[in-house]
Amino acid sequence: MVLVPLITRRDDVLTWLCLTLQYIILSHSWNIIGGYAGQRSLGHAAFFGLGALIARYLWLSGLPLFLGLLAGASTAAIFAIIIGFPTFRMRGIYFAIGTLVLAEILRIIFETTLPQASVFPTRLLATYNLVPRYYLSLLIAGLTVATVYWISHSTLGLGMISIREEQDAAEASGVDTLRHKLLAFAISSFFAGLAGGVFTYYAAALRPGQMFEPVWTFDAVVIVFVGGVGTISGPIIGAVFFVLLKQLLSIYLPGGIHILVFGVLFIIVVLFLPGGLIKLMPKLRKRISRGRHPY
Amino acid sequence: MAIRDLGLTVNEGEIVGLIGPNGSGKTTLFNLISGFLRPERGEINFDKKDITGLKPNKICKIGIARTFQLTKPFAHMTSLQNVMIGRAYGSDPVRNKRQAKKDCERILEFTGLAGKSHSVAATLGLAERKRLEIARALATKPRLLLLDEMMSGLTPAETESTMRLVKAIGDSGMTLIVVEHVMKAILKISSRLMVLNYGEKIADGSPEEVVRDKKVIKAYLGK
Amino acid sequence: MTVELVAQTIVNGIHVGALYGLVAVGLSLIFGVMKILNIAHGEFLMVGGYVAFWVFDLYDTDPFLSLPLVAIAMFLLGAGSYKLLFSGLAKFHEESKMENSLLVGFGLFLVFPQITRMLWTTDERAITPAYSGGSLPILGVRLAYVPLGALLVALVVILALHLLLTKTYFGKSVRATTQNWKSAKLAGINVERTYLITFGLGVAIAGVAGVFVGLIHAINPDIGIGWTLKALIVVVLAGIGSIGGAFFAGLILGVVEAVGAIFMGPYTVALGLVIFLLIMIFRPRGLFGKA
Repeated sequence: MVLVPLITRRDDVLTWLCLTLQYIILSHSWNIIGGYAGQRSLGHAAFFGLGALIARYLWLSGLPLFLGLLAGASTAAIFAIIIGFPTFRMRGIYFAIGTLVLAEILRIIFETTLPQASVFPTRLLATYNLVPRYYLSLLIAGLTVATVYWISHSTLGLGMISIREEQDAAEASGVDTLRHKLLAFAISSFFAGLAGGVFTYYAAALRPGQMFEPVWTFDAVVIVFVGGVGTISGPIIGAVFFVLLKQLLSIYLPGGIHILVFGVLFIIVVLFLPGGLIKLMPKLRKRISRGRHPY
Repeated sequence: MAIRDLGLTVNEGEIVGLIGPNGSGKTTLFNLISGFLRPERGEINFDKKDITGLKPNKICKIGIARTFQLTKPFAHMTSLQNVMIGRAYGSDPVRNKRQAKKDCERILEFTGLAGKSHSVAATLGLAERKRLEIARALATKPRLLLLDEMMSGLTPAETESTMRLVKAIGDSGMTLIVVEHVMKAILKISSRLMVLNYGEKIADGSPEEVVRDKKVIKAYLGK
Repeated sequence: MTVELVAQTIVNGIHVGALYGLVAVGLSLIFGVMKILNIAHGEFLMVGGYVAFWVFDLYDTDPFLSLPLVAIAMFLLGAGSYKLLFSGLAKFHEESKMENSLLVGFGLFLVFPQITRMLWTTDERAITPAYSGGSLPILGVRLAYVPLGALLVALVVILALHLLLTKTYFGKSVRATTQNWKSAKLAGINVERTYLITFGLGVAIAGVAGVFVGLIHAINPDIGIGWTLKALIVVVLAGIGSIGGAFFAGLILGVVEAVGAIFMGPYTVALGLVIFLLIMIFRPRGLFGKA
């Protein structure tokens, strides 16, 4: 993967790869809180957007990109804890509502206060090169997957999964469910913020409010579910499938139809195929289950 | 209000049987002791320390473990993983994976689940799931174990072996409070019997005395 | 800061709040009875608005007169959606049923606007009968006709719902099912049908609210989420399980926002989040909710 840009300089291939990698970051970050810890966040866009906008404005004001990324991701994590702390003590739907509310309110605020698009200054546009964008996407994607892998093999991850499976039993077995949920959410939101930061480096122009649109949450959730929720390769496969399908659909069919297709696909998966595509591939599944049960 | 004016003392090493008609407050009592419910009045002490109002995971770490009437296994995890949670987060957490694994396999063997350590919990039968509950609770290294209707729904043979398991746990020095409806079983294993009715304690003593207590008989047959 | 300004602000707040309350009542009904949190609720509102617009545009039907039509159409749409999508969730057990219903609703809430966008384009539509700008001046306060009518209709709907739930056999089956669907089933109540009708009713109420949104504000395919958001906040404010309380909580939110808008401008929306967090921290069961 590292050598790809040496083989091809074709913009469309690099773009496709960049997008796929960015979707891997976004979806895996949701996978941490929604897949492993089992807390279905509906406001993932909030953290994506926060990471994106903070990174963008800091970077465009002169700060080194990495600091901007870090600042954005950290802010996202802080907001996560603010929302998580009161809602995790209650039933699951309050968390879902809280995250949805946060994302929407941020969207509305930014759409009304910053309606103009943020565009790269001309010198940046002139020197725009996909290759560093590709490498950044690859780096962060690798980091994200590595983190998910580490979580899934750690005691922390075991605790998270136990909360997903049976929260009362987890509590009764000594798991501090509040702390685990907050930790999962903070990590998840941190990476969502990174996803936003990477996207902001990649996207020459964007509207601030757009970064908080529910479609970002939806894309992440669809990819995770269709690919295989709570697994490591699931979101990766899902992301590849998603980007490919999206490109295909946008060529042959009117714009926006991919939302319809994915929406329907998503509902079908939720109702009939909760394990995602991974479930359909027995050989892959064997390897996954070995990966999922390290004990 | 499910429980009223309940004064209860359990001594170390006792096996206390807790019986009473449906709705008499037995599971509520368990929920109170294990921290899932907070008492409006009164206090709960464990080993001379006040544990009233502590969260369930803290209570587990102090040394009180429980099982649930309707089993709550971690369905998508293997039996071994289920027990590992108890071992990793209980009152004596062990972080060394290999050590923890060995301990857990021993516990699974003790509870008769040795062959099932890599079976996903959702595939286990009812009796096995109940034993898994016990195994997971044991893995938290409790000093007090609350067993909630471990024998309901079991065949006579399964009930026998579960009884032997509970007796073995008691023999190892564990303090137990056992809620049961299967009379024969509870009379056999308890060193002391407590009867609840409508949230109040109506009898407390040796099994022989309690069984003959007029109030107890009335509670079960009368209403 | 004259008295008239304050009074006008409060009146405006009540007008908006009545709509918030109406939408929230529909949401609360569905959630209270079936434990399904209908994230797509606002989308149904949006569709209701479009139906009224369509009828108004094509046949010149006064929107108030088209209300029954909208209500019936939305009821059918709701019942149909339930049958098609949500009843498939019945096979999951309690906790995952709630979670998966969230996801299904989430899926819908992206699909509906897309379909609407394709049918009616993203342009804003407004329903503008002859009287839409008019108002009744009372004591220096402008009581606009349309929002006033909306408030009245909302009250009628709430009252009708209340009567339905307390005085009819259906209402009894709803209450029984809400308390314990297993016992209700044993007692001979057709739980599936109760759910179906309840969902249809909740959606119909949302659709009716949508007509007024079309009259008072404008509608476009993307307004759904905003109304769902308000409804969610109101339901949490009122307390899950309090259907009547949801209407009052809606009024409260409306007034609080109207007053807050004077000071907070574009950041007024954040009030909703603040209220939500405050309730979560200090009174999770809501203002009127059962513990």
